[in-house]
Amino acid sequence: MPSPARPRPGGLPPLAAQLFLAVAMVPWSGSGAAEPAGQPRFELQTGDRVVLLGDAIIEREGERGAIETGLVTTHPGAHLTFRNLGWSGDTVWAESRGVFDAPSAGYARLIDLVRGLEPTVVIVAYGRNESFASAAGLAAFRAQLGRLCRDLRGPTREAGDGAPPTRLVLVTPPPFEATPPLSAVAATARNAALSDYAAAIRAVAIDEGAGVVDLFGGVTDSLPAGERLTENGVHLSAAGYDAAAAVFAVACGRPLSGDFAVRTATLRAAVNTKNRLFFHRWRPANETYLFLFRRHEQGNNAVEIPQFDPLVEAAEATVQKLAQESL
Amino acid sequence: MPLASPLRALLPALLVVAALSPVASAQRALTDIPVPDPAAELAAMEVAEGYEVNLFAADPAICKPLQINFDPRGRLWVSSSSVYPQLRPGEIPDDTVTVLDDTDGDGVADVSQVFASGLHMPTAVLPGDGGCYVANATEMLHLADTDGDGRADTRRTVLSGFGTEDTHHLIHTFRWGVDSRLYFNQSIYIHSHVETPFGVHRLNGGGMWRFRPSTLDLAVFARGWVNPWGHAIDPWGRSLVTDGAGGEGINLGFPGAAYFTAIGTPRILHGMNPGSPKLCGLEILSGAHLPADAHGVLVTHDFRANRVCRYRLTESGSGFESEKLPDLIRSSRVDFRPIDVKMGPDGAIYIADWYNPIIQHGEVDFRDDRRDRMHGRIWRVAAQGRALVPRFDATTLSNGELIDLLMADGWARDAARRVLVERGLAEVGPDLDACSSAARRAAPGTAGYHPALERRCLELLWLRQGLDDGSSAAIDGTLLARVLGSPDPHARAAAARVVVDWADRLGRAGAGPAGSPGPIDLLAPTVDDDAPAVRLEGVRALAAVGARVGASPADSNRAAALALHVVDHPRDDALDYAVWLAARELQGAWLPAVLAGSFDDGGKLARVLFAIRAAEATAASGWMIDRWRSGAVTGTELDMLIDAIALLGDAGHQQSVFGFVSDPATPAVRAATVLGQQVEAHRKRRVVPEGDLKGLTRLVASREPALAAAAIDAAGLWQVAEAADGLGEIAADPGRDLAVRQGAIRALGNLPGSAAHESLARVAGAAATPEPVLAAALSALVGRSLIDASALTAAWLATGPGDGAIHEVMRAFLGARGAADRLAQALSTTTLAPATARTALQDVTAAGRPEPGLTAVLEGAAAAAGGRTMTAEERAWILARVALGANAGRGRELYRRENLRCVACHRIDREGGRVGPNLTAIGSAAQPDYLLDSLLDPAKNVKEGYGSLVVVTADGQVTSGIPVSRSDTELVLRDSLDKEVRLQLADIEEQAPGTSLMPAGLVDGLPAEDLADLVRYLSALGR
Repeated sequence: MPSPARPRPGGLPPLAAQLFLAVAMVPWSGSGAAEPAGQPRFELQTGDRVVLLGDAIIEREGERGAIETGLVTTHPGAHLTFRNLGWSGDTVWAESRGVFDAPSAGYARLIDLVRGLEPTVVIVAYGRNESFASAAGLAAFRAQLGRLCRDLRGPTREAGDGAPPTRLVLVTPPPFEATPPLSAVAATARNAALSDYAAAIRAVAIDEGAGVVDLFGGVTDSLPAGERLTENGVHLSAAGYDAAAAVFAVACGRPLSGDFAVRTATLRAAVNTKNRLFFHRWRPANETYLFLFRRHEQGNNAVEIPQFDPLVEAAEATVQKLAQESL
Repeated sequence: MPLASPLRALLPALLVVAALSPVASAQRALTDIPVPDPAAELAAMEVAEGYEVNLFAADPAICKPLQINFDPRGRLWVSSSSVYPQLRPGEIPDDTVTVLDDTDGDGVADVSQVFASGLHMPTAVLPGDGGCYVANATEMLHLADTDGDGRADTRRTVLSGFGTEDTHHLIHTFRWGVDSRLYFNQSIYIHSHVETPFGVHRLNGGGMWRFRPSTLDLAVFARGWVNPWGHAIDPWGRSLVTDGAGGEGINLGFPGAAYFTAIGTPRILHGMNPGSPKLCGLEILSGAHLPADAHGVLVTHDFRANRVCRYRLTESGSGFESEKLPDLIRSSRVDFRPIDVKMGPDGAIYIADWYNPIIQHGEVDFRDDRRDRMHGRIWRVAAQGRALVPRFDATTLSNGELIDLLMADGWARDAARRVLVERGLAEVGPDLDACSSAARRAAPGTAGYHPALERRCLELLWLRQGLDDGSSAAIDGTLLARVLGSPDPHARAAAARVVVDWADRLGRAGAGPAGSPGPIDLLAPTVDDDAPAVRLEGVRALAAVGARVGASPADSNRAAALALHVVDHPRDDALDYAVWLAARELQGAWLPAVLAGSFDDGGKLARVLFAIRAAEATAASGWMIDRWRSGAVTGTELDMLIDAIALLGDAGHQQSVFGFVSDPATPAVRAATVLGQQVEAHRKRRVVPEGDLKGLTRLVASREPALAAAAIDAAGLWQVAEAADGLGEIAADPGRDLAVRQGAIRALGNLPGSAAHESLARVAGAAATPEPVLAAALSALVGRSLIDASALTAAWLATGPGDGAIHEVMRAFLGARGAADRLAQALSTTTLAPATARTALQDVTAAGRPEPGLTAVLEGAAAAAGGRTMTAEERAWILARVALGANAGRGRELYRRENLRCVACHRIDREGGRVGPNLTAIGSAAQPDYLLDSLLDPAKNVKEGYGSLVVVTADGQVTSGIPVSRSDTELVLRDSLDKEVRLQLADIEEQAPGTSLMPAGLVDGLPAEDLADLVRYLSALGR
């Protein structure tokens, strides 16, 4: 149920442009070995720059760091870097990203933002919020997810420019869980709808040559007995995130070791610190005054926002160092 | 930890250091930073007679309090932020929640415990559920202390996805409702997208949320406002809201309503005190400690003016009237910033003082050194010579004692309800059942009955609502029916809201008298209740029940039919709004039924017509035509029916309506009303009646002024060429009212054909034509013949017309593509008076784009008399006078002079236009030399965001203005007349940035002394 977004005077903020610049300073390293494009499997390569995109599952992963830490530890020495662009309530139409504009403008900004980060891999986790539209919304969701994939991948690169195409990984949403306040009856009904959306995501992955991580089908099986998957029927618990991390790891053929959560506590804290700093970089508070229609008042302070770049960079270095040490 | 006394001795030294450090921003206006000594701050307070103030707590125990709330043990929870307004790169957010306690009851906190730290701008804190709920930028957290050491050891994200576009707009004003939901607000720039297991909830803009933590039931309660920083709930459950930027005083909030700033709705409700100061915080005074005349008084804060305000409400119609009372506290200190207020467990009033000489972070730099980040106070206001209320710990009381306390005042009632709700249904249910059945049995007229029982039954009902765990056993339909049937209308009104919460579990919905009553059965009597407040809550409840997910079409239809009963009764604005909203929300139910002929309107067509108009249901116009043609509708209902068809009908229906209007048998006054609706229909939907419209020529000549006026408008809008002669006669008739002649000229301007053109040229060329009519004729000609218009205008300008007429004609030329150059050509052979040229030049500047030809001609004429040139000495003299002796009072008078046109474009507080920068606090942001230069040469420094945009549309119209908003389809500009102009993006052919819209030369006629006074006045604003 999207509300009407208020139009914003002044057009696009320079944030995306600044962020792009910042990326050049972040020590992404290596360009990775070329892989045949279009093959629907999930594989991470040395030096991959991964963007995580989605709704609150991805947004809260930025505080939990489970999936990211799992992928880092299962790829020793691969120097993987992650940037989390999750946004609560978001959909394949970028309904949470319009800010003062219509969602379509937020969508355009999102595509610019992702392309500016020059990822080699984009992990796309949508579908749960959309699934409330049930069968009536399924076709539109599927079409838009396909469009999102193509927009994220961008125009086909010129042959021979040396840059491999962006690889996409589509993630199915974890199931709703019959736990308070969500009743068993409600959870069953939700999962019936969600099952269709998960199937649509798998189908789009085949169409678009994307890899798949199937949380809908697999995350409950990875959950230790007696643990709840979610905190409230919908948002993953700590154990739920660890289970999701396990599914991601298996999906790229590198299962987690049993003592993952304990062994990686320090690394995970460093991942979360880096993610918090990056959050303040790409979604700073007071955007209205720094970049938008009241920038005539405080736009001078927008200079502070790129000052997060070296901090993100330093935190990233810590993550990489700890990742090396955990080998 | 005992409170340390503030480091007073050190502070002057610290301040000197602060004052010497380089100030990055250019805003040095506020140089007189007070010493942050609580004793001095207290001494500067002027307190209302009968009250006294003492310091309850201060820095360093707390810093920068943002919200205060007492818990059921009587302890005060304070959220504080030194991070506000913006996290610095590298800064680790470490804001706190602190719990204060006054264990010895002397009115001063003696225990201070940091409950939680590491928070990011906690704009709200509310104790509950073993800890507290805290606003933490994008999230609502629950922090709990599970080991009892007084510090939070668990941190859980309860909700997330709240916007942070402005950090004094972040979710705020947490409070428990009488229904034990957590109510909280967000301000206008916030866009929130919150996921729950039941879907995504979005709120783009200001509004009030409500949330039940145990069920994650989240909903938007009301929308709108700028900064709804105050929310109090009266003893009957009515929400009262203040706005920290809205200026409408106290608002009455009810479910689903929209208020000032709400978007996407054609209608909003307003506060009860238009023109009041901006207000923050809100509490209702009560309790035995305070004198009786204080009970029910609202306390809130005019934090800009450093005072604590009081209002008194009187019930009126469906709501209240609100009257401002003398202030409770006034302070001469700019650093006293009261922002929150709560009744305390001892019966005294507690006020959170954010303590800051600098407020807001729009006008004043985030990093301004004068921004205080370390101080804060809690003041306690007590009634002199009156005993305090004995304090208690509600968590130690039995269920029975707590249930009795629900009849108490203020803190005690809220504390009792909170403790009972947290004990849960299993523990409290049996006691509640016993109390409820006892209360139910004591019906009015029986022995032992007391009117207070009505409140008690309502409190028990609310407690039942708070204990709701979603199970069928949780509700008490018998008690609900008892309260809905209460002799006290307050109780009946409040109970209507409970029906909505329980709708899915009450009886079999719509089962009727044979089964147990369903929600619609229960609500049915409310819509015909004697009390307007009951009708208001009843109609809102029916709309919610009828529109809820899972309602059957029959139920929705019945809910709509009942809701529209309210149309039968008198309605004040809020009640009319409530049923208007219901008609729109339930359109999907009643409209198909009406069209199918199955809607039960109780034989009252007025109900259906109200709904059709409310929903602007053009789809119903065919149905209305059929009703009209059936001949079965008569009297006032027939009038209403025809009016509605005139407003909503298509071109064919409009033809029928026009037949009625032009029928000589139709009384002229009636015809005027209906034609007025047809004109409105054209304005909204561009609909023109089909068929022959010649009949309009007779109406144009009507002796009934209202009919003639409507016909003149219609002739122009519908482009009825046959009316040209009649309009021409009116335009030229010296016996006619000027406004009627101007209307006729506007209409002529729209008409095709040479007759209209000739009429206009005749009027424009006639020597005897009065100036306003002439100006209208010249303006109308611009769109028809630039050659004629330019020649006639040049000759006319040479006669030295008045300023108003010049502005009108110049704007017409500047609004048509290529017209300015034509006028420049015509003027090149004309001699203008310098004053005329200067007036015309103001309009050229205000157009915000270069018109070099016209500018050159006019400047040449203006310079014949010499414009204003200011020497460096004169400038220095003026600035010295501003600093030393200029008179701000005289400056204010000058500012308000009509010919200077300041007020037309600039706003100070609530007065003035918005096309220019708001000047309310200009003195705190701009230096006198900058102000003087801006007055003399507006284009020299254009405030960022006030650069204009010049847009040319497909019809050749040129519009200049400041961009207000832009959507996917529409651009809104604010033009130099301070009017919003909406342009369809599809119509825009060219657009380019323009310059300042402020006319040059406005102050050319002012003597230097006056200029100094004006600058002095402006530079004092906001200081």
